[in-house]
Amino acid sequence: MVQTRVNSNAIALMTAVNYSEMRISSNPVETLVAFSIGSGMGVAIHDPVCGVGGILNFMLPDSTRANGIDPAKVPFMFADTAIPAFLKALYEQEAQPDRLKVVIAGGAHVLDQTDAFNIGQKNLEALKANVEFYDLKIHHENSGGTKSRTLSLEIGSGSSSIKIFGEGEEKV
Amino acid sequence: MIDLKDIVGQIDQLEPVPPIATQIMTLAQDPDSSLTQIADLILSDPALTANLLKTCNSAYFGLNRKVDSVRDAIAFVGLDHIVQLVMLSSVSQNFKKGTRGYGLGEGELWRHAVSSAHVAKILAGKFGLSQNKHLIYTAALLKDIGKLILGRFVAFTLEEINILVSSKGFSFNDAEKQIIGMNHEELGALVGQKWCFSDKLVYIIRHHHLSTESAREDLETSLVYLADIICMMMGVCTGADGLSYRFYSDVLKRLELSEKDLQGVIAEMGENQQKIENLINLV
Repeated sequence: MVQTRVNSNAIALMTAVNYSEMRISSNPVETLVAFSIGSGMGVAIHDPVCGVGGILNFMLPDSTRANGIDPAKVPFMFADTAIPAFLKALYEQEAQPDRLKVVIAGGAHVLDQTDAFNIGQKNLEALKANVEFYDLKIHHENSGGTKSRTLSLEIGSGSSSIKIFGEGEEKV
Repeated sequence: MIDLKDIVGQIDQLEPVPPIATQIMTLAQDPDSSLTQIADLILSDPALTANLLKTCNSAYFGLNRKVDSVRDAIAFVGLDHIVQLVMLSSVSQNFKKGTRGYGLGEGELWRHAVSSAHVAKILAGKFGLSQNKHLIYTAALLKDIGKLILGRFVAFTLEEINILVSSKGFSFNDAEKQIIGMNHEELGALVGQKWCFSDKLVYIIRHHHLSTESAREDLETSLVYLADIICMMMGVCTGADGLSYRFYSDVLKRLELSEKDLQGVIAEMGENQQKIENLINLV
């Protein structure tokens, strides 16, 4: 018996974005997910006009403080090397800066983790400085606190979701 | 309040760590022991021997010849790896199960345990603790064993625990103690005692969140604590408790670790991610 393919796009795809990774997609049935973001930051960016979107999941604010780890090998680990590379990859897929919807989640800290050691806060600050530098606007932010977050982006609709365990889901 | 006897009674439902595993660890740390002694001890357990040889011949180690004796395995893979593999395979069955109360699915607590052990190994290396490296590795691997049982009780008290954490500034383990009457550190230590772990290993499990001043002054316990904190910050399978544990900057100062050092360990850990993933799939 020959099976008829009604619609080959009907299969929903979910792709995980691990830490120190970036994923870009223009597949309308694909959903990108960064699970369990702690002090690192998840950045979901989507261009509704060309239908391209991506998630970046970085861990640290500054590649110059990496104690001998070569940022060229792990560019998506650090805010300062990851964000330019992430945007470049999006622009290569026809995304345009003035159309981008930016949703960010993460930057959590351990209880009493004070200024100098608060890497979550530093990640958030580094991200915001980069977003400003590249003339982008943050549409939605869910950051800080002591809970980890899961950030996802549906490429087809451009809608993002941020889940915190025990606190439900926020859809943007 | 829950009857603590009910909780403690459930320890028997866990798969005990075989005594040979802790004997191998003790022997490996003893400067007077020989490789032959360790090899003989492993050989006394046929199942362990078979398992170990299988693992050493897997693609993970990429050896260009077949290892067919325990002595060869130690020579080619290294004693450190052998001891770690013994510990990993002795506890994996327990940890691979999910702990729904903590919001962790199948394999997630295991991933957190192996990752913590890996960070602890990095830290032990930085502090030149070759004498106690296996103890630190094992303690980091086993520190959350209490969660395997306590999870069932956390499941139906989570709302009350969360209220203490979010509005009263409690850490998650203090809130467990307050609501359930026992936290996962205490329960883990009871498991360790029952399974005849060394006093030091039990101590580290009992104090791995450094709630007491004397624990904060203990080097090995501090390193296991730090390994846990780093995994939480990286979000390695953090569940319902998230990052709701206390941070002690004085501990880092005592260890002479700066914020830059902390970032360095996170970066090193991030770089090793694939290696850890392979190890998780191996055992």
